[in-house]
Amino acid sequence: MKVKLTGFLTLLMIFLAQLSFAQGKIVTGTVTDEKQMPLPGVNVIIQGAAKGAVTDFDGKYSLEVAEGQTLHFTSMGFEDQLVKVGASNIIDVSLRESAMALDEVFVVAYGTATKDTYTGSASVVKSSDIKDVPTASFQDALAGKAAGVNVTKGSGQVGSSTSIQIRGIGSMNASTQPLYVIDGVPVSSGNSGQLSDQILVTNNIMNTLNPSDIESITILKDAAASALYGSRAANGVVMITTKRGKTGEPRITIKSSTGFSPSWATDNYEAASTQENVNYLYRVFHDYNTSSGKTDAVANADAIRRLNVKFNKHGYYFETSGTGVGENLMIKGMTDGLVNREGQYYDWEDAYFRTAINQSQDIAVSGGNEKTNYYSSFSYTKDEGRVKINENERISGRVNLEQKIGKFIEFTAKVNVAQTELSGFNDSRNLSTNYYEQTRNLLWGLYHPTDYKTGEPWKARFGSLAQNNVYYDNEWENSSRTLRVSAIEGLKVNILPELNVQTLFSYDNIETKDHLYYSRLHYNGQGLGTVDEMSTNTRSIVSSTTLNYAKDFGVHHLDFLAGYEVEKNQTDYIRASGKDLPSSNLHTVATAGEKDATAYYWGNNMMSILSRLEYSFDKKYYLSGSFRRDGSSKLGPDSRWGNFWSVGASWNISKEAFLTDVEAISNLSLRASYGVNGTLPPSNFGWRSLTGYGAQYMETAGGTLSNVADENLSWETNYSTDIALEFGLLKNRIYGTIEYFTRDSKDLLQSVPISRVTGFSSTLKNIGSIRNKGLELTLGGDIIRTNDVTWSASVNASFVDSKVLELSEGADIIWVNDGDATAQYIYREGESTLAFYGYEYAGVDPANGLSRYYVNDKDNPQAGDFLLNGRGATYDFNDANYTIIGDGIPDVFGGINTQVGYKGFSLGLDFIYKLGGKLYDGAEKDVSDDGYYWERIRSQYAYDDMWTEENPNGSLPKVSGNDLTDAIQKSGRHIYDASFLRLKNIRLNYDLPTKLVNPIGFENVRLYVIGTNLLTFSKYKNADPEVNQYAARGWETPFMKNYTFSIELSL
Amino acid sequence: MNKIKSVIIIILFLGLSSCDDDFLDVTPSNSGDASTSIQTLADAKVMLTGIMSNMTSSNYYGRNFILYGDAKGGDLTTFSMGRGLDGLYSFNHSPTTGSYSGFWNSIYNSILQANNLIVNIEKLQAAGSEANFDDVKGQALTARALMYFDLVRIYGKPYSYDKESYGVPNILEPLDALEQPLRATVAANYNQIIADLIAAQPLLSKSKTNGYLNYYANLALQSRVYLNMERYPEALAAAQEIIDSGVYSLYSNSAWVNSWAGQFGSESIFELAILPSEADLGNSSLSVYLRRSGHGSASAIGQFIASDYYLNRLGEDPNDVRWGILDYDEVSATHMGASYKYSGDTTLSGDGKSTPTAVNIKVIRLSEIYLIAAEAAFHTDKDLAATYLNAIRKRAPDLAPATAGTISIDMILDEKSKELFTEGQRYFDMLRLNKDIVFNDDLGGVPISTRPKTIDRSFYKTILPISQEEINANPEIGNQQNPEY
Repeated sequence: MKVKLTGFLTLLMIFLAQLSFAQGKIVTGTVTDEKQMPLPGVNVIIQGAAKGAVTDFDGKYSLEVAEGQTLHFTSMGFEDQLVKVGASNIIDVSLRESAMALDEVFVVAYGTATKDTYTGSASVVKSSDIKDVPTASFQDALAGKAAGVNVTKGSGQVGSSTSIQIRGIGSMNASTQPLYVIDGVPVSSGNSGQLSDQILVTNNIMNTLNPSDIESITILKDAAASALYGSRAANGVVMITTKRGKTGEPRITIKSSTGFSPSWATDNYEAASTQENVNYLYRVFHDYNTSSGKTDAVANADAIRRLNVKFNKHGYYFETSGTGVGENLMIKGMTDGLVNREGQYYDWEDAYFRTAINQSQDIAVSGGNEKTNYYSSFSYTKDEGRVKINENERISGRVNLEQKIGKFIEFTAKVNVAQTELSGFNDSRNLSTNYYEQTRNLLWGLYHPTDYKTGEPWKARFGSLAQNNVYYDNEWENSSRTLRVSAIEGLKVNILPELNVQTLFSYDNIETKDHLYYSRLHYNGQGLGTVDEMSTNTRSIVSSTTLNYAKDFGVHHLDFLAGYEVEKNQTDYIRASGKDLPSSNLHTVATAGEKDATAYYWGNNMMSILSRLEYSFDKKYYLSGSFRRDGSSKLGPDSRWGNFWSVGASWNISKEAFLTDVEAISNLSLRASYGVNGTLPPSNFGWRSLTGYGAQYMETAGGTLSNVADENLSWETNYSTDIALEFGLLKNRIYGTIEYFTRDSKDLLQSVPISRVTGFSSTLKNIGSIRNKGLELTLGGDIIRTNDVTWSASVNASFVDSKVLELSEGADIIWVNDGDATAQYIYREGESTLAFYGYEYAGVDPANGLSRYYVNDKDNPQAGDFLLNGRGATYDFNDANYTIIGDGIPDVFGGINTQVGYKGFSLGLDFIYKLGGKLYDGAEKDVSDDGYYWERIRSQYAYDDMWTEENPNGSLPKVSGNDLTDAIQKSGRHIYDASFLRLKNIRLNYDLPTKLVNPIGFENVRLYVIGTNLLTFSKYKNADPEVNQYAARGWETPFMKNYTFSIELSL
Repeated sequence: MNKIKSVIIIILFLGLSSCDDDFLDVTPSNSGDASTSIQTLADAKVMLTGIMSNMTSSNYYGRNFILYGDAKGGDLTTFSMGRGLDGLYSFNHSPTTGSYSGFWNSIYNSILQANNLIVNIEKLQAAGSEANFDDVKGQALTARALMYFDLVRIYGKPYSYDKESYGVPNILEPLDALEQPLRATVAANYNQIIADLIAAQPLLSKSKTNGYLNYYANLALQSRVYLNMERYPEALAAAQEIIDSGVYSLYSNSAWVNSWAGQFGSESIFELAILPSEADLGNSSLSVYLRRSGHGSASAIGQFIASDYYLNRLGEDPNDVRWGILDYDEVSATHMGASYKYSGDTTLSGDGKSTPTAVNIKVIRLSEIYLIAAEAAFHTDKDLAATYLNAIRKRAPDLAPATAGTISIDMILDEKSKELFTEGQRYFDMLRLNKDIVFNDDLGGVPISTRPKTIDRSFYKTILPISQEEINANPEIGNQQNPEY
């Protein structure tokens, strides 16, 4: 579905003079697009006469015509325009891009297609939808742009990886991410380098692609669209096409942007005040004493003593006027140091976070003639995170060249060189390094980065186990530098007009160098100083050759493709580590007293043959079929070859006689498809039982069995069905798609849990199945379309239902999400693929402030200590059973995009939304701990809402001096409604009037400002509701609000 | 440009994509095929090295198993919760949370490695291999016995308490992935342990071998196992053979403190090597867990400190040489509760390697053998018992030597506590001898709701639960869960 929201329309007005010759005259003119780019190949036809012309490469035409006749300008992808010939001999026309062009060509698997002939399901996103959004990766800009495509991010750190799930969750253990194809070549995606093993920072490999270089993105969703990618296409395919030059004078585009992010997108667990947190901790200690029968006086004295033990060293002591549990403590300053800190609390928020600056500079030069066209670009981008040590930088250059050689041969070369450099920090639930968690849960205002007695930096770990990163930030560094060089060389030989051979050869080299240094003063420096250098070099070579045949036989049209493809991927890894660094200035392994190294490699190969046959009749009926056979080294000799195929059909109903007269219906078509795709195991060697040699001991090599494998391991198989109705009404002013799909993923690769007595926790097997089914709706329209004012809008909605159908012997699998393990889930037959699993929370008992849990005894629903709403309940979570406590999959999600234009101004709003479904707030157990685990601070809401005798309606349990943390480990207390609506981007453009900019040599000057994440509406208030692919919120860095100002010059 | 040229260009391009027959056969570069990895004696030695390496895992001797034996035994306490592994101290165990299934998982993985080695050696021998596998096989059998001995004491009731209750699954060969083995009795486990030790004994070298098992380590293990089985004469005989062999000798009082700064000392019967580039756990090492909070690194948060009960015991003699490995902790400048046995000395010198956290684990020391001998002899010959006890007791020079008249099991047990502090023994001795264990919760004012202040072996949490993950994958074993979990 093409969702093209056109900008402000600038039409040149044609002034017609009355003076005319009786006879024909020669009219000339130039046809351009809205940006004044010449349009070649536009048909100019005199209405009612079988006569016309076609514009040349400079968009010029000339035609003999009589005054009073009407010229009809038509071109693919543009709205038709009628101009009456007047007195002038020059008629220049600017064509407006059509809102939904049925005949527009877009890129699909191994070729191109037009909307009305395509039998598959594909969403097309144009560069104009993504290029202005200030994100490092185009993936983030896809959020809300296409139905069925769920874009989420695990962390708000700049440079981190993005998850895209197309049509639900198709796997448990293997990838749920689509295959990425850039300019016809499958590429690696996801995280690059090894830093994520060390400090859990992901480095998105797609950041190496400059979003400004992208011409269009096609997202292939069903089997008919994607089955030509066979064993890797089950999760859909994202096809990226980079820009090519257009015929005409060299065109230079310069774009410069600067932005800033002064705050987070939402409030996030804002901490209660220092005073309140001191009162809270006092309450805990007081309760600890009184709960074991001590008097208030004893409890008061002990609580004060313990507060003093904790905070005297930071320059504070405490007094109370009474001895009760609800005392408001007097926080006094110690007078024996350099400073008296009474009344002074340190602002850690201010110390750790900043207003982040992002900037980007782009320059692109493109052009061409009938033989050659080229596009080249150079760009520099730097994004800062709000945390002071998070930064991502990219320098990239690209040359795309197309050259015709003689009559038959077309040669293309696309070369991209990019370097990204990322530095980040571990933002999982890590008490030492996570700045965000520290400011909300660990850093008391009573802590200071300096010692009050000496003024020296505070180096010891704080009582809350946070580290003083104001000091330690200068004692470590990390970076992940990725250099990616890719070259795609293509050759197309047009043997006959209807037959060509195309071959593509691609070399993609991604080298990530990770650097991690801790000084001898750093708490991770082992007192010696350590440095790690890691180099991960992935080389991919892809060669594909296809034969294409296309011919019309009267009303019959036949298209045939056959080809083969070979792919080789190899990664070389080298790590050198040094310990005992003699100089704080020298952060190199070379200087280390002790050195350590490793190096090895891994990889996988693939061979494929593929074919496709398409047939159409009278441009009404379309049939297609595809077949691919893949062989992969990731599987054993007996199971490595697999067949994948699809069939599809579409019927253009509006071309039928009975509808041609219905003016209101400009397009109506029905299509359906069915096919089989696959997903390969994530591991290169998963089918092999291996002995590893990493068990070095006393400097001698040691071997250990490292797994127990299934030799007959196979790919997952994905059976998908798609049926869709597309419509366009009132000359396509209103357009839309209704699409239904099912996707059955079978033979799932599962880490089947096995008895640990075998020595291992799991073995990889093909067992079980998942069904995703859903409905995708897209509706768009041009609401106002006048010369001065335009208003267009589109909305998309995806209803996806994702269920586990079958598991190994029906046995449940309990699992936790990657990395942070913030939430616990269960795979159970008949349940959602994202079912939260834990104790069912039944709220606080208003009578005593205790947490209640439903027991959920399968055999006796009334079992428990007491009945609540007719069900057995208990105060003790140990007596409750785990049950499914929520579904992380939303009822519906999607985007709402609208654009208003007035004269040179244009205002665009992009909303994303999610309705229904739950999220699990895994950080809440920290900020609203109802017991005492260690000296942490609580959130304002947790302080305000806790049950006390004065606040018997508090929604959070009574604070206890005894450790109850386990009670809230995996509890329904942290389940929230995940619905939200977010104004993802708001963009205001202004095109300076051409009469102003043309005289000074510019073709176009555009100013714009974009705001990102400015508004969020949600029921969930604790933190940002836009959660990761596991619908869980942990301590990952939240998203920022961003304001970016740009200027774009074309000359 | 003509068609011939185009064809040439195409062929050139196609040439780039040609590939060989075994293109789809990609093998790993850092691993070998499991089924063919043991073919020679050299291969077998590599796998034996792997077993030793496995035993240095943080889940086993590298850290957790040592702390298991101390954090639960009353000699240690914690000053604050939340610092790591505090669940061991608070007995916060259930099948779902705090199951500490790392012991089960890690030790069974080590058992698999031993089984794999033993079975493959037997296969090679059956196939007529003439290589001398004796020592390798003897070590593998002894290692397996040690693993089962540790496992059955974590998951099963003490032999002296209820040997017919559930022990652990008794597995002697590599299993298929989907097998679901069930638990044997404690007695069956002990029988297997003894059988392995007896089988291994004649195969082993009698010379001192650093970092590996030898004949005396086998005997030392026998004496430990027999003591647990209350088979005192056999325990005594094994201990005496070691003592009398002269291969090992006790540290003198003046050398005792310094012995922690060295490797493979004269008392070390089995010592696992921890090297900086191998099993060094750095900030999460035993060294860091047991030293004073903040000492040497802001990451050192002093997880465990000596309880007042231990300090009072050691304080019977202020001149006890064993004070020398203790230093003050965060409680106060006079509370000497930080243990530096895994740091070389109280100034973090290490034991001769580049990091003070890479310190060898002394699994069995001669001092323990003397104390086993004392306890084993106590039942038949109190004079002999006193002799063996005094060899260690003299490390408290101001205390009167024990005599046949004054010696008691408690006296031996107290000595064992003093000598083997933070060496992972105390808890098992307390359970074996059915003593009350009292926890010093009040020192740090830590709130413990998951156990009483005083427990004995009738408390169900003295043995760990079978984890829910194991039960999920092996449902029948759920019916054999330890009582009350």
